Amino acid sequence: MKKNKIATLYLTVMFIVLYLPIFYLIGFSFNAGQTMNKFTGFSLVHFQELFSDSRLLLILLETFLLAFLSALLATLVGICGTLWIRYTKKKVTKNALLAANNLLLVSPDVIIGASFLILFTVLGKVISGFNLGFLTVLLSHVAFSVPIVVLMILPQLEKMNESLIFAAQDLGANYWQTLTNVILPYLTPGIIAGYFMAFTYSLDDFAVTFFVTGGGFTTLSVEIYSRARQGVSLEVNALSTLVFVFALVLVAGYYWISQDGSSSRKKRKKRG
Amino acid sequence: MKKLQTLFLGVLVIIAVLFAGVLQLKKQTGMSGAETVNIYNWGDYLAPDLITKFEKETGYKVNYDTFDSNEAMYTKIKQGGTSYDITVPSDYMTQKMIKEHLVTKLSADKIKGLANIGPAYLNRSFDPHNQYSIPYFWGTLGIIYNDKFYQKTDVDHWSKLWDQKFRNQLMFIDGAREYLGVGLLTLGYSQNTTDQAKLLEASAKLRQLKPNIKAIAADEIKMYLADEEGRVAVEYSGEASEMLAENSHLHYVIPQEGTNVWFDNLVIPRSAQNKKGAYAFINFMLRPENAARNARYIGYSTPNQAALKLLPAKIRQNQAFYPSQAQLRKMEVYQDLGQKKVQEYNDLYLTLKIKK
Repeated sequence: MKKNKIATLYLTVMFIVLYLPIFYLIGFSFNAGQTMNKFTGFSLVHFQELFSDSRLLLILLETFLLAFLSALLATLVGICGTLWIRYTKKKVTKNALLAANNLLLVSPDVIIGASFLILFTVLGKVISGFNLGFLTVLLSHVAFSVPIVVLMILPQLEKMNESLIFAAQDLGANYWQTLTNVILPYLTPGIIAGYFMAFTYSLDDFAVTFFVTGGGFTTLSVEIYSRARQGVSLEVNALSTLVFVFALVLVAGYYWISQDGSSSRKKRKKRG
Repeated sequence: MKKLQTLFLGVLVIIAVLFAGVLQLKKQTGMSGAETVNIYNWGDYLAPDLITKFEKETGYKVNYDTFDSNEAMYTKIKQGGTSYDITVPSDYMTQKMIKEHLVTKLSADKIKGLANIGPAYLNRSFDPHNQYSIPYFWGTLGIIYNDKFYQKTDVDHWSKLWDQKFRNQLMFIDGAREYLGVGLLTLGYSQNTTDQAKLLEASAKLRQLKPNIKAIAADEIKMYLADEEGRVAVEYSGEASEMLAENSHLHYVIPQEGTNVWFDNLVIPRSAQNKKGAYAFINFMLRPENAARNARYIGYSTPNQAALKLLPAKIRQNQAFYPSQAQLRKMEVYQDLGQKKVQEYNDLYLTLKIKK
């Protein structure tokens, strides 16, 4: 009982420490004044400013578009990669693949970003019309998200009972049917988690993105960071509020998706 | 499998919706497909309505990217892969980029309105004949004080900062060049000195300043001074003007020994694809009404004297933000001292910061 109390206390303090700055920031987005020093009254003026700043809105939309798309591609590549790693027979090759995967996770973003910049500029010299822009950011986001997706799915695949596959094949399933009816449904929780991890990574990445943006395409983190020279205006607070609300919706969506299946399974059990 | 299908379908729908939104916004903001001018500027360093105005006037579409430091901008321009038509380096970075042939020489006949720029802002040491750069904004390093606690005569010389009455009150902007620069100025030396003996003398002098220093900080100074938790600070004029707007007891002073003056400049990188557009933009920004609008939005001092006439008298006549041309001549720009000397400055600064 006592132990429990300490745990609750610890958790409460942690949550306060984590959430207080966010709520502080959100609170000031409704400030009538121009700075975060003093709250002078409630007003939506900063939201008005935000919605009339079409450049910032465009960046907001593009950032989310990038996050959704890169996470989707990374998940698809990640699923294939996981299967490849799992079903590689040779131990040495398998370990090498895993190491290559983990290496990307460990290496600092700055190095990944700089190497992508060099790669893309070399490519730009070979292929005419290939410039830094949306495509380069997308490619690099997919690249650094894939290892995360692999890491989320692989443990689940390792845990899977081999006999499930044999059973499916015994019942006449071909490779494709085994994949879509047995393996993928089993991996679903990992895939969903991987998708959302990739999504968050893409959304908040600054270091890699900074190097490979260009041609009028920027993401929110790069834009906000570059505004810091003169102090961030409350317009950015308003923007953060919107992003936070959107994040809440996403978390709700995540729970909806991951609970949807289990409840229907329960129903089935009841019926059975 | 059904769950996965729902997820991926949902994601695809969201992507489609976002994509439509992006296209719609792009259509609204400019004629996509028109010739573009790529501008690489500091974040929030150009009034957004001026971009729209420029696009309407010239028919160019502006691609506006931002950076947060000279070094970041330099890296990207040097590496290539981007084709920015305009960028805005500070003085020492301008010098470095000229030295490394990263910017193009401006042809004087294509630039209209250079006469609007005040003579004291031209021909500075980083670009002696303005062959490569046009000043965009400028500012000074000075002392900001609260008149509830101090008077103007308390801070009109750098040497007065050593006075007993500032004990544990002084806030200082976090920068090696700035900190050592004040020491050098007090002793009557150049802020760009490479003489080790002078540097050591300045650092010995600054050691005695230590008891007066409350904090060496960056952006936080703004808040402390506005809330009167700090009473006096060495700060840049741009930040000072923001503080003054918040608290009417604050004043900004440029000490009589002179100070550092900095310039951000418009340049055309060598890799520019649309030089015609770049010149159009430079000429657009040189026009008094546009420069004035930009100065109102950013709050920094404009080098455009014709624009100055369009600003309210309160700003225009403020000696602290627009000192006389004679005074300006006396102020020094930080020069690029080369990596070795910069390291020496940094080491001395760090030692000063750490040692009691």
